[in-house]
Amino acid sequence: MSRLSYFVRRTAITAVLIFLVASALFFFFRAMPGDYSSLLVQQGMNPEQIAQLRADWGLDEPIYVQYYEYITNLFTGNAGQSFRFSQPVWELVAPRILNSFVLVAPAITATYIVGGLFGAYIGRRRGSPLEKSGIISVSIFHSIPDFFLGIMLIALFSSTLGIFPTSGMLPPAEMIQLGDQPYWQRFLIPEFWRHYTLPFMTVLLYFMQYPTLIMRNSVVEVSDQEYLHYHRLKGLPESKLLRKIIRHASLPVITLYPISLAASISGLVLIEVVFNWPGIGQLLVSSVLARDFPVIQFVFLIAATWVIIGNFFVDLLYGVLDPRVSVAGDED
Amino acid sequence: MTDPILEFEDVDIRYRTEKGNDVHAVNDASFSINRHDYFGLVGESGCGKSTIADAIVGGLDANGEVTSGTIRYKGEEIQDYSEKEFNQNVRWKEISVIPQSSMNSLDPVMKLSNQAVEMAKYHTDLTKTEAIDRLRELFEVVGLSESRIHDYPHQFSGGMQQRAIIAFALYLRPSLIIADEPTTALDVIMQDQIIDYINGLKDDWDISMLMITHDISVVFENCDSMAVMHGGQVAETGSVVDVYDRPRHPYAILLQNAFPDVRFPDRELAVIDGHPPQLRGEVDFCTFADRCPWAQPECREGAPDAQAVAGDDDHQAWCVRADEMEELAAEHLEPKAEEESILGGGE
Amino acid sequence: MSATDPVLELESVDKHFQTTSSFVESVKERIFGEGPKLVRAVDDLDMTLEQNQVQGVIGESGCGKTTLLRTVMGLYDPTDGDIRFQGKSTSEFGKADWKEFRRKVQIVFQDPFNSLDPKFSVRRTIAEPLEIHDIDYERSDIEEMLEKVGLTPASQYIQQFPNQLSGGEKQRVAIARALITDPEVILADEPSSMLDVSTQASILNLLNDLTSEFGVSMIYISHDLSTVSYVCDEINVMYLGRIVEKAETRELLSDPKHPYTKALIQSIPIPDPHHKRERATIGGEPGDPIDMPEGCRFKTRCPERMDVCDRKPRDVDPDGDGERTVACHLYYDHEATAGQADEPAGEHTPETPT
Repeated sequence: MSRLSYFVRRTAITAVLIFLVASALFFFFRAMPGDYSSLLVQQGMNPEQIAQLRADWGLDEPIYVQYYEYITNLFTGNAGQSFRFSQPVWELVAPRILNSFVLVAPAITATYIVGGLFGAYIGRRRGSPLEKSGIISVSIFHSIPDFFLGIMLIALFSSTLGIFPTSGMLPPAEMIQLGDQPYWQRFLIPEFWRHYTLPFMTVLLYFMQYPTLIMRNSVVEVSDQEYLHYHRLKGLPESKLLRKIIRHASLPVITLYPISLAASISGLVLIEVVFNWPGIGQLLVSSVLARDFPVIQFVFLIAATWVIIGNFFVDLLYGVLDPRVSVAGDED
Repeated sequence: MTDPILEFEDVDIRYRTEKGNDVHAVNDASFSINRHDYFGLVGESGCGKSTIADAIVGGLDANGEVTSGTIRYKGEEIQDYSEKEFNQNVRWKEISVIPQSSMNSLDPVMKLSNQAVEMAKYHTDLTKTEAIDRLRELFEVVGLSESRIHDYPHQFSGGMQQRAIIAFALYLRPSLIIADEPTTALDVIMQDQIIDYINGLKDDWDISMLMITHDISVVFENCDSMAVMHGGQVAETGSVVDVYDRPRHPYAILLQNAFPDVRFPDRELAVIDGHPPQLRGEVDFCTFADRCPWAQPECREGAPDAQAVAGDDDHQAWCVRADEMEELAAEHLEPKAEEESILGGGE
Repeated sequence: MSATDPVLELESVDKHFQTTSSFVESVKERIFGEGPKLVRAVDDLDMTLEQNQVQGVIGESGCGKTTLLRTVMGLYDPTDGDIRFQGKSTSEFGKADWKEFRRKVQIVFQDPFNSLDPKFSVRRTIAEPLEIHDIDYERSDIEEMLEKVGLTPASQYIQQFPNQLSGGEKQRVAIARALITDPEVILADEPSSMLDVSTQASILNLLNDLTSEFGVSMIYISHDLSTVSYVCDEINVMYLGRIVEKAETRELLSDPKHPYTKALIQSIPIPDPHHKRERATIGGEPGDPIDMPEGCRFKTRCPERMDVCDRKPRDVDPDGDGERTVACHLYYDHEATAGQADEPAGEHTPETPT
């Protein structure tokens, strides 16, 4: 099997998975107790109005027709209408995805770089007090619920020290001033970065545990491998050996990175709520409260797709980093 | 009479442990390897033979240390070199290693060619192309297809990895190769071919070798001289013929008789009871005393000194009763000569 | 069953594994009509284990000897062929028969460091099979067994845990555990290969005494001919799933017929500096059990290869005394046996020794 056909196959599997998730979401939401349309009905509507409403939303069609519509619409980028805002879901969600991504991608990346290096550092000092305190501290940060960690940081840095603002992405005035300017313009505003710091730190501290502990274990394991002893016998300097250890030990950490990136979406929900960060986590919470099902359904789909695509990239990346994994059944 | 390439003189090697009861892995070890000789170091697991290999090339674990005695390579004390000098002048250029478990010794994420280039970078001025060309030559020498130098280790079978490891050991044309259990993971036929190949290096490359193994038959067949180790002490050293014909340390005697010989399937195998002691703390006794059928109180009162066997300084046994052994162990020494091999054919 | 019946018989036993496991690939095979690729780990194997006999099976790694052992144990169902224990085919076994079989056929594993439960004391380790099979026992039975396998004084060992024992002692405990149910057959998987030489000798001596002292029979697999020859009465040489030669131990060693057997024997180092050994001349490594050559499987390494080797060789008796067989074209006259033409490669028909 060639590299190309492997790639094609993995891509196909990825696409099929996303399709299955989309279908499952559709049926799960239809299977929930109560008529889906009852959510739309407001007080004082007469039966004709309700029937009209059901027809408008296509809820009077048989379920397979609805399903067909839903899938074909998804393919054209149409995720339906929000009950709450009567606005296309996609228009509602798209800017939120960007806001979430701006927070989570750099924060998780930083988590993995900092946590990975820290894990490597304590892994090289096996048995030292530093190692023990390192493991304990990252574990503590992960044991505290993420929203509580956020609240503590707010209490410390905002309420007590007054260094950072408590919530939001930008002060309302600045937000209005931005208007229709391109998204990146906000990165030039110092206020943005002051708002950014605390949620960023919360994600960093909360997720540090994974890369730190895995890197530590991995470094300990790799350090005992025969090939490292052989490298040492060959006279490679310690700095070079360390680089090799880190390269080998990084593999499991790298696998976990996209998964964490994907999984962090769920962790992000409460952090976004605590910091009032206008991302999809916050949108999800407010949509759940308002029972805005098309939005919830779509946010779930986005989250699942995020995870699936993340795994897809891990597979490809792993093939490049570790030749043994390259392609199943590949003989040369 | 000859000039030694490597000498061990009263070498002690210890591993420090946190609780203070250090492991005295090697005690008072002395032997010497002559230029152009193959030297076998035999013993069971944990006897200190791999520690000796690591000590020669400065590959001891961080808590290991040569605490006394001298190791001389071509007359120069190895401990006198700084790490940098040793790297520039001795390591791999003069002394290279065929490590234990070759299957796990090649870096799995590096192409073999890159592993060679890396080696060249730290020890020579060769350019990348020259480094790869040299590996190509060596692949041919060890019987691997040169088209495969850009392969990864996992694409090689066990025997091929072993050959690649030999190619790496020869890479900088050393004078001494340390082979630490070079064939344990291989099947008999492959093992025999590799050993035969290693044997051929002696003349083709003018090499001396320290061959470390638990397999006394490999040493008897392929080495010129040997040492038998037990529990961190050298038990006996001498030419292989001397140690075979006139072993004078009880362990050397029993070990030979414990070893299955396919020629004599009916021979009763000698049994060595017990196991070597834990080497925690000072080793001021014979470590074989607890297993030795001929032990006396004095064996536990001090580490034995070397006794020249039959006045030959090249054949020494570290046993206080070495002189009496011929009589004491008579039943173990005799039968060898009398039996007849059952192997037929062109022997 | 009479006293002279063989205790265990294997007749034309095959154990094949499919290499493909993924759903997509098996669908593809159906569609394109390709058969799945087979690993013929054990192929058309015959063996007869007489009472009080030790049959050795030797071969390089990957030759199928471990698969053979597992098949005999009943861990794998044979793909084809028949395994008979005390005259009864295992394919007809019911639940009670299997339980009886498990009591009468015991195994000793290669690795004493992992085959004992570290949380079981020696007493419990040895008592466990007795409890499983509802056999009454007393502490003295266990002590007696410990003494028999050389763990004396038994009272000292009986309360110990595996981490307090050396490798050789662990292996003795494993042997005691195998013997405690009074088995008919012991299956031994290189039980001495992970031990140091000094300990290995004592385990080999112990195994040697088993047949005479305990009246058991044994199948002993190993890659090391020099240890096998100490223990076994007969040796079966296995190559890529087939037994290529079988003979009484001394006869096999002194007069090997098959080129592979010769190579194996010539490759064993001899612990004697005066002995000048003629080294084997065959090529390196065994072939791939997935893509095996047609006909004789050894032909790709064989120094005596002929054209006829593309056909599968029959088991023949080179001396005509019915005591040994060799599967090699060198040892029979193809003209004279034209009536029983060699089977075309790949096809399966039972073989009969001439």
